[in-house]
Amino acid sequence: MAITSAANSSGTSPMDKWEVQLRKGCLELAIFGCLWPGKLYGLEILRRLESDSNLVLSAGTVYPLLARLKAEGLLESEWVEAEVGHPRKYYRLTPAGRRRASEMARMWARFSATLEDLLSPLLKASVK
Amino acid sequence: MTTTVGLDPKVESYLAGVRAALRGMPKHEIEDILRELRSHVVDLTGKEGSGVEAALQSLGDPVELAKTYRAENQMVRAECSGSPLIILQGLRHASRSRLGRVAATALYAFGYINVLTLWAAAIDKLFAPSRVGLWYTPGDIWSFTLVRNGNQPAGGRELLGWWLVPATLVLGWGLRYATDRLAQWWIRRYRHRKELQEA
Repeated sequence: MAITSAANSSGTSPMDKWEVQLRKGCLELAIFGCLWPGKLYGLEILRRLESDSNLVLSAGTVYPLLARLKAEGLLESEWVEAEVGHPRKYYRLTPAGRRRASEMARMWARFSATLEDLLSPLLKASVK
Repeated sequence: MTTTVGLDPKVESYLAGVRAALRGMPKHEIEDILRELRSHVVDLTGKEGSGVEAALQSLGDPVELAKTYRAENQMVRAECSGSPLIILQGLRHASRSRLGRVAATALYAFGYINVLTLWAAAIDKLFAPSRVGLWYTPGDIWSFTLVRNGNQPAGGRELLGWWLVPATLVLGWGLRYATDRLAQWWIRRYRHRKELQEA
């Protein structure tokens, strides 16, 4: 699976690796976040991930993942004929997908709030 | 689709490679995947002005891409399917090593052989009631004769009578359920571990 951060796409240091792992772990949630407001097609999802979450993914990573989420019943898709003349496959969250997305977002919020409390002394110290 | 991309030999060759490596998946799913990949290339080359090669590069190696699709697709389908063939296909991907795949498949097949044996006993009982049964021989081990070979244990006593039919049917269903759930648990466990390792 190819995934890099926009800031550090070629690094291989432990910090780079950790950052890639962290981002990758959030990938499903980030895709749910992209699709929460409405339907998008694959390339739009890729570009939204790049612009809004700094996740730079290869298309070869995101399309099989979308197919898997669809097979799990979390996404549904439809082909829409674009104005320029070629069809695009749009994805949207199913009710089960929306439930999963909400649960994951709540879990993420709890986790990050706890971690923030834990890390605030560390961050203050590193600023000094 | 635009004519340019539709006829571009590099795109067609790439998609042919993906199609060949997806062989075995349902045809409509293969067509859906190829249509989406083509649409992606059209968007990149048209809307975003990328070159065909850069667009194909973003998808990666066609065989590797197809492998990812196949493995994900077959394992997810196997996790929620009641079809032994689909579960078996999922099991083929659910191990890192070849030995693990063979062992998991063999175990699954062993479960189903027992299921079929139990059901065969239920059917056989209808045609050869005196020769199929659960025989008990005092001082000996329990003997479960399933075939019409007439080798009932000497001095043995048949315990179940016609109850053998519902008993083996129910036991067969139970064993099938357990075999399927065990295989699906294995697939789910492997997939989640893989996701964690890749994360």
